[in-house]
Amino acid sequence: MDGIDLAPDAVRRARSEGADAAEAYAITFTSRSVYIEDNVPKVAEDRSETGLGVRAAKAKRVAFSATTLASPADVRSAVAAAMAGLKHVPEDPDFSGLPTEAGKGEVSGAWDGPTAAMEVAGLLEAAMTFTDAVTESKATSVPKAIFRIQGYALRIANSNDVLANHRGTLVFAYLTAKCGSKGKFGEGILKAMNTSIRAIDFAHLGATAARRAAANLKARAFKGKLPGIAVLDPLDLGEAFLTTVGSAVNGEDVHKGRSPWAGKVGQEIASAGVTIRDRPRMPGGLASGVADDEGNATRDRTLVEAGTLKGFFADRKHAALIGVPAGNGYRRAVATVEGAYTRPAETEPSNLVVEPGRKSLDALLAEVDSGVYVEKFAAPEVNPFSGSFAMEVRNATLIKKGQLADHVKVALLTGNFYDGLKNVVGVGRELTPTHAFLTAPGCAYVPPMAFDGFELVGQG
Amino acid sequence: MSAAVRALEKAGAGFGDVRREDRTAFVVRVANDQIQNVNEVRRRGWGVRAFFNGAWGYASGTSARSGDAVQAARKAVAIARAGAAAGVPTSKLRKMPSTTITLEPKVRIEPRDVSGEDKVAATMEVCRAQKRDEVANTNASYSDSDWTFELANTWGACLQWREVRVRIAAQSVAGEGDRREAAYDFRDGTTGWELVKALDLAEFGRGVARDAVEMLSAAKPPSGLLTVVTDPGVSGLLAHEVMGHASEGDEIIKKRSFLTDQVGKRVGSPLVSMYDDGSYPGAHGSIPFDAEGTPAHKTTVIDRGIYRGFLHSLETSGMLKARPTGNGRAQDFGRRVWVRMTNTYFGAGRDKKDEILEETKSGVLTRKWISGMEDPVGGSFQAVTQSGFRIQKGEVGERVRGMTLTGNALSILKSVDRVSKEISLDGGSCGKGEEDYVPVAAGGPYMRCKIVVGGG
Repeated sequence: MDGIDLAPDAVRRARSEGADAAEAYAITFTSRSVYIEDNVPKVAEDRSETGLGVRAAKAKRVAFSATTLASPADVRSAVAAAMAGLKHVPEDPDFSGLPTEAGKGEVSGAWDGPTAAMEVAGLLEAAMTFTDAVTESKATSVPKAIFRIQGYALRIANSNDVLANHRGTLVFAYLTAKCGSKGKFGEGILKAMNTSIRAIDFAHLGATAARRAAANLKARAFKGKLPGIAVLDPLDLGEAFLTTVGSAVNGEDVHKGRSPWAGKVGQEIASAGVTIRDRPRMPGGLASGVADDEGNATRDRTLVEAGTLKGFFADRKHAALIGVPAGNGYRRAVATVEGAYTRPAETEPSNLVVEPGRKSLDALLAEVDSGVYVEKFAAPEVNPFSGSFAMEVRNATLIKKGQLADHVKVALLTGNFYDGLKNVVGVGRELTPTHAFLTAPGCAYVPPMAFDGFELVGQG
Repeated sequence: MSAAVRALEKAGAGFGDVRREDRTAFVVRVANDQIQNVNEVRRRGWGVRAFFNGAWGYASGTSARSGDAVQAARKAVAIARAGAAAGVPTSKLRKMPSTTITLEPKVRIEPRDVSGEDKVAATMEVCRAQKRDEVANTNASYSDSDWTFELANTWGACLQWREVRVRIAAQSVAGEGDRREAAYDFRDGTTGWELVKALDLAEFGRGVARDAVEMLSAAKPPSGLLTVVTDPGVSGLLAHEVMGHASEGDEIIKKRSFLTDQVGKRVGSPLVSMYDDGSYPGAHGSIPFDAEGTPAHKTTVIDRGIYRGFLHSLETSGMLKARPTGNGRAQDFGRRVWVRMTNTYFGAGRDKKDEILEETKSGVLTRKWISGMEDPVGGSFQAVTQSGFRIQKGEVGERVRGMTLTGNALSILKSVDRVSKEISLDGGSCGKGEEDYVPVAAGGPYMRCKIVVGGG
């Protein structure tokens, strides 16, 4: 991996051209992907990219420019663009300077050597393990699946002599299985993410996807309305956590008046069984690192403890504004780091972790007299400001007297997520990582959870 | 590029192409009347693609070292060969005539000729106009992009073109006690600065703030199977999510679409026609060529309720013996080509919007879309709206909060009984599953139909 050593040069150059303060973020990555289509490896990719983002400040004016980094000439052009930007940028009175001390060292498990070294052929093997598991039953196929591994290294330098380094690996898989015939098909969709490809059991995922496809095929349109307990699978639940809780405890949203939890530190905002932490130092975490993408030293922090709001996280600028330690200025996402250099750091969670409970999923389900177990929504989209949602269920099963019963579809699970957090009736023990959007930083590690007060709405 | 094309041929690729892209963007973000970011971004790179006996190999990079693209060409062929050896069935591409064309966009005021000060000032004006006592947070953003493409392939094509897009957006968050409600609006297209110049920036910002404040007193939407009058944005979401994704040729080949065997059959009421048109003037998803060099094309997907056909790349048109439609698109030089939509919309009808509403006894009218998700296998969809209104006895009444619409696509389209003359398209970006975002637009008329509705 090369090119990122030019970061300090960019800082020196910006200073020599008149910047009071300057920061350079350089990242390089290699990425290998295999796409399965109709059970065969139809497409494979090998790509690499190196880029540089430069932030220059003069008094309270701050400008940012970014470029792909192919030669020292790109450093010169990026610095020149940032300096030119300073001429038309209004002052930002809240700019609080750049970090003065960097996080040092490495979080174990953020980088996995064998994953970083894996070529397309190795990834192909993992892809076929999944495919073989799905197609063990001849009635089931893999119409589409994506397998990707990335190895990356980044360097952050600034005019306060901060120099932070980080490297990591990311594995991302988007998996589908399909069954049925004569125009009637069922599909199961799931994702897998990790920093090590060896940690992912692709055969188990294949069996799970095939089971979901079969259930989807059997599902019938749900009629009427069903209030009761909703047990939610961690993959989509984690995404809902990132868009709601991830915003409610986001220091920038708090400062700007967008967060529904602004001014509520010390108040009960969730059930007693709910504890949420931001854990950038979690071993093997997808977003783990000793420094954030501004170079600030990271620290694990408790955001919600036993249902009580304890605090917020923030990047350097908003940390100063709301009075919390900095350490959550991020640009890199956890499904792919592509494009990380093209944007300045913003307040984002690292690994947003819901503390697991002690119950297995089966135990959670067994406690439900009447409700629904949702494994997959069309898209787990919740309004981050109001908490309201109505999500179409794609893999859902009714629960009757503690037992899974009929598979249902063409129905919406409706409710308010913030209200739901105050009505959590069960927290499972198995954490699963997930992300929200492709290029959005932040990762959630969430167990299956049971909520009271949501309603399933179907036709009629 | 020519050396990389020769390397593809020499390494034995059945077909191959080289894409080189130079992408610049200028972004301004303002919140609560304070500047948040002014970003200038340039991203350049190249991607090589090789086809060998049904399998594809891709290799891409950003280096400027001479010889790297040639090496990548060899690697792409090796990857494709490995895929073919793993059992990929042989397929043939639909060969296109080789052409040499350079195209410039139809832009009246090039964004690159407009000063950064003017772009910041416009964004600031939109943000300031949102200020009201009830609005807790005001946001505005401006972005322009200028992408240059070069494409050469082993069939002798040599193309160059530019795509220029401009977008301006506003979002207000209104607050009352613990309650927060947000509203947004935007304008975009394959256009220049003239889009911003023609806009009443202050009224644009005030309108968004008004929407957010009205949302504070909005009621919970009704739920169940309801009569819904969809606005053009939500009609577009139905076109895109319900029928568009399921019409993508690769999903047809994989039999991952409920429309696989529907050509020539009735899929909607006779009032329903639908198109995908990459040549739609000024729309956000308009392109001169797709990522394979096929010129943009208007494809009729539904003609008066009868399903007419699919969207194609070179490969799917070869496999399904159809004409390429200019829908082979890639997110960027480093990403693969998929079959993707461009500008997808339902055609106009004969009714006036007001007449449709006056003749609706009970139902809801949607107002602006937020997001959608397709289900090409099952034929259902999820469409999330920003808000809506109840309709009772022909009157548009109480405002309701955001709703989610779902249901069986064919049942919904067959239930369409009124279609307006008014039609418009909104821009956005579309992923294939969760990735590979490309600029698109979607739209249509006001349409009355039956849909399952729910809201929190």
